[in-house]
Amino acid sequence: MQPFTVLTAVAAPLEVAKVDTGMILPGRYMRRHRRPGHDYGEAFLYDLRFDEKGQPNPDFPTNQPAYRDAKILVTGSDFGCGSSREGAAFAVLDFGLKALIGSSFAEIFQGNCVQNGIPVITFPEAIIHEVWRQLRAQPGTEMTIDLPNQTVVTPDGSVHHFDISPLRKDRLTRGIDDIDVTLEYRASIDAFEARRRALISWLPTASRE
Amino acid sequence: MSGRTLFEKVWGDHVVLRSPLGEELLYVDFNMINEGQSFLAFDQLRIEGRTARRPQQNLAVTDHYLPTINRDRGPAGIANPEIRRVVEMMDENATEFKLPHVGWWHPDQGIAHVIGPELGISQPGMLITCNDSHTATHGACGVLAVPIGGGNQLRHVIATQTIWLKKPRTMCIVVDGSLPNAVTAKDVILAIIGKIGVGGATGFAIEFAGSAIRAMSMEGRLTICNMSIEAGARIGMIGPDETTFNFVHGRSYAPKDADWERALAYWKRLSTDTDASFDREISFEAAQLAPMVTWGTSPEDCSPVNGVVPDPSEIGDSDRRRHVERALDYMKLKPATPLQQITIDRVFIGSCTNSRIEDLRAAAKVLKGRKARVPGMVSPGSHGVKRQAEAEGLHQIFLDAGLEWREPGCSMCNGSNGELVAPGERCASTTNRNFEGRQGRGALTHIMSPAMVAAAAVHGQLSDARRM
Repeated sequence: MQPFTVLTAVAAPLEVAKVDTGMILPGRYMRRHRRPGHDYGEAFLYDLRFDEKGQPNPDFPTNQPAYRDAKILVTGSDFGCGSSREGAAFAVLDFGLKALIGSSFAEIFQGNCVQNGIPVITFPEAIIHEVWRQLRAQPGTEMTIDLPNQTVVTPDGSVHHFDISPLRKDRLTRGIDDIDVTLEYRASIDAFEARRRALISWLPTASRE
Repeated sequence: MSGRTLFEKVWGDHVVLRSPLGEELLYVDFNMINEGQSFLAFDQLRIEGRTARRPQQNLAVTDHYLPTINRDRGPAGIANPEIRRVVEMMDENATEFKLPHVGWWHPDQGIAHVIGPELGISQPGMLITCNDSHTATHGACGVLAVPIGGGNQLRHVIATQTIWLKKPRTMCIVVDGSLPNAVTAKDVILAIIGKIGVGGATGFAIEFAGSAIRAMSMEGRLTICNMSIEAGARIGMIGPDETTFNFVHGRSYAPKDADWERALAYWKRLSTDTDASFDREISFEAAQLAPMVTWGTSPEDCSPVNGVVPDPSEIGDSDRRRHVERALDYMKLKPATPLQQITIDRVFIGSCTNSRIEDLRAAAKVLKGRKARVPGMVSPGSHGVKRQAEAEGLHQIFLDAGLEWREPGCSMCNGSNGELVAPGERCASTTNRNFEGRQGRGALTHIMSPAMVAAAAVHGQLSDARRM
């Protein structure tokens, strides 16, 4: 996983509230394998990005040339609500986004994003609306996210401080996920396992036939 | 120092370390994997280049997506290509990650929560995980059995053989006394859920205790623990006793010879100490209980079968009133209708809740020499159960009654294998969830015990098994 420290990139406004995980990753994509080169990027917000005939929806920001390289999405409230499907975070990642900024995010979705190296940053609704206004006024403008210093620089140059749990900040800036965190205790696991197997020698182990 | 509960002892025996943030890292003795969303975990492990830490402490089980017909043709017999693909992915992932696998071709194939106890994998004092919400089932064997998510959490268990968990609070549900005739474990757990609600045990690990639980067979206890999640608890356990030990003894994975004696000594120390206390205790009188049926769209929407559909206008709590209004609208039921006047279109006997040999015996006892007025299917919980039922001639009773005798799997409980209740069809079902759309879009589900489903089949309407 890539460590996340400071990112300066094009930001796109997604001025829609309550975008649920079923919109982020439509159910029909959920039985799909996710492999390099065959990822969930195509599925990301598919029904918002394309019409019934599969034609790009010109109103969707990343379908517009100015936002084509957007790596930051500035979302509406309750982004990621609904089903707990972990694939929704994969869709965000595979679409090429590096960070999400919004007024509120569903808790499970937020955790899944952090697990995949994507910081999820919240600001009061008034600030989000002001950022949308600035992004609309000058499509394709860049914003800067400084995770170590917990600040975001908006297009007009103003600097906003954000809160993030120390644990999540640590994981994101080091680029480690939950397995990496656990494996830092590998010696303890090894020792525990050896003790348990000695004590409970009859524990069932299956075999491949 | 006060004593410890069964849950506290087993939990304590698995703590590798405590994080400063309050979560604990627990060692997983055994992990079961179904084909559900597990391909997400395997895809991610593959992308990261990770392997299984202890392949032999895992068992992949194909149960959710496997149709209960055309088994002889393997995946080629699965008509729906998406369902076929999920079954094939489990085969491929188990092979690639070197995991033992009870697949569609295996003589022990069945529902994970049926074959774990059946094969003797589920032993007292173990910590078992599975990517399925009904994992607490194994708790009936004195196991700390924890449901996990099919993506990240499963991936973590496969790679590290551990899991981070926040310790839940403890709850003891005591059922004392003797159960009346035709009142079964399913009726007991439905009555409990009806009383405490679907969120009544959220954040708790339940221990089921009391003389009525002690008197139950392992099959009954498995049904009780199975539905812990329907009361909000991820963990439900029953203290191991002679019934447990006799059940485990001699099974494929059970300890043998000298190991058996050592295991028994350990298991006997696991029961809740007499001076231990729980964060919450609730008591039920077994003698007061009756056969139960659900009328709504949540397992808590249940009533003794001699009751009537509730009237939302008589419900004071506004959230509850709105839920009941919506439930009755979905279920196409009118307030005050006697439950035994509700006619049904089909029956289903199966699922991790009620597909064990005792369940099939109870249903067959009611159906013997009778005809079902509605179509329906019986899906035994495993090939082991199927072989036993056929040896006892139970399958012939079901076939003679006009029901289908199918292969083992999760089947019509949630229909992920394509076996669905049609829109608007009303089904009397031995399963665990009567949610909107659970058995298929627009399906109307009434859950109850196997004997009650059999009685409903005979009469074509919800009926009191006590009168059969």
